[in-house]
Amino acid sequence: MEISNSYSPYSSSSVDSTKPSPSESSVNLSLSLTFPSTSPQREARQDWPPIKPLLRDKLKGRRLLQRGGGTSFFVKVYMEGVPIGRKLDLCAFSGYESLLENLSHMFDTSIICGNRDRKHHVLTYQDKDGDWMMVGDIPWDMFLETVRRLKITRPERC
Amino acid sequence: MGWAFYNVPCSDTNTSLHPFSLAKGLVTSGRNTCTPYHSSTVKIPFVAILRTNLHQEMNYFPDEVIEHIFDSIASHRDRNSISLVSKSWHKIERCCRRRVFIGNCYAISPERLIGRFPCLKSLTLKGKPHFADFNLVPHEWGGFVHPWIDALARARVGLEELRLKRMVVSDESLELLSRSFANFKSLVLVSCEGFTTDGLASIAANCRHLRELDLQENEIDDHRGQWLNCFPDSCTTLTSLNFACLKGETNLSALERLVARSPSLKSLKVNRAVPLDALTRLMSCAPQLVDLGVGSYENEPDTESFAKLLAAIKKCTSLRSLSGFSEVAPLCLTAFYPICQNLTYLNLSYAAEIHGNHLVKFIQFCKRLQRLWILDSIGDKGLEVVASACKELQELRVFPSDLHDEEDNNAAVTEVGLVAISAGCRKLHSILYFCKQMTNAALITVAKNCPNFIRFRLCILEPNKPDHVTSQSLDEGFGAVVQACKGLRRLSVSGLLTDKVFLYIGMYAEQLEMLSIAFAGDTDKGMLYVLNGCKKLRKLEIRDSPFGNAALLADVDKYETMRSLWMSSCDVTLGGCKRLARDAPWLNVEIINENEDNGMERNEEDEREKVDRLYLYRTVVGTRNDAPSCVTIL
Repeated sequence: MEISNSYSPYSSSSVDSTKPSPSESSVNLSLSLTFPSTSPQREARQDWPPIKPLLRDKLKGRRLLQRGGGTSFFVKVYMEGVPIGRKLDLCAFSGYESLLENLSHMFDTSIICGNRDRKHHVLTYQDKDGDWMMVGDIPWDMFLETVRRLKITRPERC
Repeated sequence: MGWAFYNVPCSDTNTSLHPFSLAKGLVTSGRNTCTPYHSSTVKIPFVAILRTNLHQEMNYFPDEVIEHIFDSIASHRDRNSISLVSKSWHKIERCCRRRVFIGNCYAISPERLIGRFPCLKSLTLKGKPHFADFNLVPHEWGGFVHPWIDALARARVGLEELRLKRMVVSDESLELLSRSFANFKSLVLVSCEGFTTDGLASIAANCRHLRELDLQENEIDDHRGQWLNCFPDSCTTLTSLNFACLKGETNLSALERLVARSPSLKSLKVNRAVPLDALTRLMSCAPQLVDLGVGSYENEPDTESFAKLLAAIKKCTSLRSLSGFSEVAPLCLTAFYPICQNLTYLNLSYAAEIHGNHLVKFIQFCKRLQRLWILDSIGDKGLEVVASACKELQELRVFPSDLHDEEDNNAAVTEVGLVAISAGCRKLHSILYFCKQMTNAALITVAKNCPNFIRFRLCILEPNKPDHVTSQSLDEGFGAVVQACKGLRRLSVSGLLTDKVFLYIGMYAEQLEMLSIAFAGDTDKGMLYVLNGCKKLRKLEIRDSPFGNAALLADVDKYETMRSLWMSSCDVTLGGCKRLARDAPWLNVEIINENEDNGMERNEEDEREKVDRLYLYRTVVGTRNDAPSCVTIL
């Protein structure tokens, strides 16, 4: 989709909209700026279009379950201790196993979900309520509906 | 003394009864004022009187007569007018007032409410501002119902009905409610949160005369308990049960037994967890249903199930309203054909997977439809069918079915569908329309076709999108709407809009009460046009628009005539808000911050810093004391 510079609406409300470069915001509402013209995908906004939560959740869940060309859902992934994160398309995976495998490759370390193990990194996620949870407890479909971002935590943390 | 018969006109929502015309009518003997509204005939002594001082003359009548006359006046506004006529009318009115509506729970306190209306039976309360529906208000912002229930209980008010919207309700509140009012009959919760099915269990168990339990779009923690089992066997008075928003399992046998022993049940809306065979049984033992909300049926039923369902549906000849359908397989939908032509309300706006074709096939038989809620997957062609089939249509809502604006989603509606509807459905007065694109020409045509709009809400999914044919702003299109629709009370604008659209709104929208603005306008002038022009404005909500302090502070007294103002991601600064709070002590000026930390720790507050979210409202009880740390009240 064509995104022009007039897209100041997508700027975080705490950022002066006259600033030339979009920047990440730490707004609770998890809005993030889109970079002009380069990325066709963007994370779902929580406050636009103006529809009620019931319909919003329904449509988000629906989109993620659609297979086929063009469907993707990118989330940010951070490794604890590493300031620069990565982006991952969750729709590319069929379940937790393939997700973990891919992440382990990406970050070049062994990552597990579920049981705490002093040796391995543990994968956690932030859900739509803003809470940080252990990955793997809920069915994959439900996970896709509720996940907002991922974090790989240090072994001793959880 | 002779007697006069007078038809007391009861106003509909459009006209307001002037207290003097009421009194004037009372003493005109022999003349039946014919009104198109329902009325009651009152027999009163004839008194020859002057046109002035009518209220003094009326004081010759016993209070019960005057009360009886007031009882026939239902509209809140008319009752408010009556109470302003004189001290004696104020006193009589407040003592016989049964229903009270409070649009902002922080505008008044429970104690003052009870003090004025001791005989209250029905209370409606609204809490969070409207934009809370779109995740713009923190969950902990406020709107707690507990103090209200507590105060009503302690004052032993004979509460029978409680209707709440966007309030925080706890299980404790529900428990207290269920135990405090012996005659409690009706609980309606819309977009509320904070409670679980345990709270529902209290209501079920303790409210002996419960008639209505209506839960619409609430966030309810489903403990998968047995709340339905908590209705005692002696409970047979239910007329309305709606638990569609519950996400968990439902005890089907408890539900079936409850429905079987509720012969007066007219409205039943079940949740997703009620499968087809259970629905069939429910409908079979409640063929008197008028309003039905079904569950989720993504799989096609087998032949036998389908036959049973069809048989049950055929018996429901009173059914006028159909909703639910969290998912519905096409064959399943066809089972409802027998009652199509009786439907006046149809809500298929959650059935995201079903193809538009099937929807159209169904709707084309709904010739008596008055209200239709649907997804944009119906397409322009589908709307053209609706326009030719549903000539009685009064309200249409078309919701988006795709949040991410996929390039290949060509099936969704455009301005073509909207024009078709306006041409075919001349009784249309309310519309909510989400679409990808719009043109001025279309809006101008729509305005010409349907000058009777009361509510016009258009949401173009992409902010700032211009007329897709001319690339101009949509000022002229919306201008045409406000100019043609003289009765317009609610308006939401979208697309590329300059200050000009607000000039038009201020000039023409004389009846406008609620205006929603997003990503629109150029300068403070825009907001000023609206504040200066729309005399009946009650609620103004603005987001992501370049309006600042000059507009906010220009006419502070205006806010006394309004319920509330919301501004988020605009250009108002902390300094401006502080100044407003100083100049208008009868306003609560709330600043909602992004994070809890920011609010209180800023000692070196920069008054030039822009305010994230501003919410202000008139109140007679001053600052509230239940605000969370992310809210600063100036």
